[in-house]
Amino acid sequence: MKRSTSKRAMAALLILVMLAMFALPNEAAAKSPYKGYTYNQSEETPVSINGYLYRDSIDGYDWDAGPFKEPEDLFVAEDDTIYAVDGGNNRVVHFDKSKRLLGMYGDSEGKGQLNGPKGVYVTGDGEVFVADTLNHRIVAFDREGRFVKEFGPPQSPLLGTDFVYSPSKLIIDKRNYMIVVSEGAYQGLLQIDPNGAFKGFFGANLLGFSWEKTIVKFMATQEQKEQLSNEKPPEFSNLIQDQEGFVYTTTLGIPTSQVKRLSAVGVNTLTDIEYGDHHMARRNWERLFPTFVDVTVNDNGVFTALDQTTGRAFQYDKLGNLLFIFGGIGEQNGLFKTPSAISETSDGTIYIADRTRGRIDRFRTTPFADKVHEATNLYVDGDYEKSAEPWREVLDMNSNYDLAYKAIGKALYKSGQYREAMDYFELAKARDDYSAAFLEYRKHYMRQHFAWIAGGAVALYILLKIGFRLYRKWRSKRSKSKIAVSEGGSAS
Amino acid sequence: MNTVRLAKLALLHPITFFEDIQERAKWHYAFVMIGLAILAHYLSLTFSGFLFQTREPYQISILIESTWIVVPWLTWSVTNWGVSSIMDGEGKFKQIFVGSAFTLIPYITLSVPVAIVSNLLAKSEAMMYNGLEVFIFVWVVYLILLQVKIIHDFTFGKMLWITLLTIIGMFIIWFIGMLLYGLINQSIQFVIGLYKEINYRL
Repeated sequence: MKRSTSKRAMAALLILVMLAMFALPNEAAAKSPYKGYTYNQSEETPVSINGYLYRDSIDGYDWDAGPFKEPEDLFVAEDDTIYAVDGGNNRVVHFDKSKRLLGMYGDSEGKGQLNGPKGVYVTGDGEVFVADTLNHRIVAFDREGRFVKEFGPPQSPLLGTDFVYSPSKLIIDKRNYMIVVSEGAYQGLLQIDPNGAFKGFFGANLLGFSWEKTIVKFMATQEQKEQLSNEKPPEFSNLIQDQEGFVYTTTLGIPTSQVKRLSAVGVNTLTDIEYGDHHMARRNWERLFPTFVDVTVNDNGVFTALDQTTGRAFQYDKLGNLLFIFGGIGEQNGLFKTPSAISETSDGTIYIADRTRGRIDRFRTTPFADKVHEATNLYVDGDYEKSAEPWREVLDMNSNYDLAYKAIGKALYKSGQYREAMDYFELAKARDDYSAAFLEYRKHYMRQHFAWIAGGAVALYILLKIGFRLYRKWRSKRSKSKIAVSEGGSAS
Repeated sequence: MNTVRLAKLALLHPITFFEDIQERAKWHYAFVMIGLAILAHYLSLTFSGFLFQTREPYQISILIESTWIVVPWLTWSVTNWGVSSIMDGEGKFKQIFVGSAFTLIPYITLSVPVAIVSNLLAKSEAMMYNGLEVFIFVWVVYLILLQVKIIHDFTFGKMLWITLLTIIGMFIIWFIGMLLYGLINQSIQFVIGLYKEINYRL
């Protein structure tokens, strides 16, 4: 009897719980499929708070034009509307951040028909330039989507006879020159003037030095050497332009400097930084390496690079300090299958196109990221003192964030609190900064305690001198007395 | 007290010391000196400044750090004794064993002060710190060479030759040691695997 009542009670409870499951809202149960982490000075990966979380996706299923198929590139115009290259559908789609379709580019026939487009650039007055890769040309459309003109393969003896022009990405710089990534062009980026004439290469990658190559070259036969000289510099995979006219590029197949910020003369102004994950997995005993396919930069110089190998986006500040890592390869929302393009709108939302899935995912910043951005924007401008307060708040949220310690250390250093700055630099393992603070601290310490130090040195000198004299006297006396004892006399 | 007096002698008058040690060597001196060397090494790791210590405390194991002193010393003693016995050296194993331990005396006395001084140096003054480290090292090497020369009563050229042979011998011993370790490890794994396999089948 007792057992059946308890059974009945259990059943009632079970039903209640199941009802509660339906009744309670479950929209807040969005756990991120990726864990936040960062890198410290010792190349370890301490846990960090996620900077970006998945918000929603744009797949185009509710548009009359139909869904995306293999989106290849994203471009954010000045009015924050987004142009996406819909490679599988041979068109460029224009939409805004509330997912409204604004326009389409690419005709179904005629000169404006696209074939495997991979890149897009939109000028300030709405002219749309598309890298029409398989047609070996760049096409310009006006704002309404009407074909305007095309730029065919550039002609120049510099390009060589076996050069195949496959433009995949492009920008237009302040001189109205097109700067173009052509697939397989190891010589660099192509500069093409508004008339379609080739104006030379820009920012070529260099072949790195390696001991292995040197030794092989030393031992190789003539034929082997001929094969060796066919080795080509790594090629660019993407490029964008920031407000100041710097060109950010991504390069495939190199271990460092995968992201470059090229000045107007093609010099990389970001020093040798190893972008992406530092401890890559192995597959078939080969270590995988990051494949950066796109990068985006915001008005404050914070840039985010997209790695196709790990499916992660890596965000850096203007100086190349790592801020956030998010994303990954997988099925859940927030992970990707083949991420192909990344862009950031002015409200800080990051758009990442997934080629295989045929959709564009949007990521929003977390409050933690907002705080870090606030702090880092002050910090990279050299306003260390003002940045200290937000950095302290960052540390309240996440004490693993080493950049904050370094920044607070710099603020303290600037305000002359060298001893405190040393502590913060030690926490951040910033040895160079620590050394600088230590030098100042030592100087000040010596100056303040000069009387004591000088007095102490003099006193020590006198004490040692007297001590030595006494010791010598005592020793000679003892040896004399020893001799006296051995000679049979009395000790005194 | 006797160990301390000998240590002082080794530090200030090494030639007299190595002549003396041939009669006065006692086994326990060696263990005291090696113990002191380990202690000095440990203290120098503890006291050295942030700029000159790239490792975190948790990355330092006192056991592994001691093997860096004990193993070279033991293999050096054994190899040097073996090589010099073949090549007409006069030294006995006990003398080499104890004498080698005393060659660490510059490190024992100076490494801790150098570590403390490193707290007063900036990164740009690393030259000074490195210079002191090199000074200690050169002194130790000098004592080792002196020991080989005096204990075995060699000429200068023969001393260098024997030292070189000893170093080669040390590497051979280490290589064989690692080889043995690997083989024994594998054979133990094999027996364990065999046992497990049979266990599953039964």
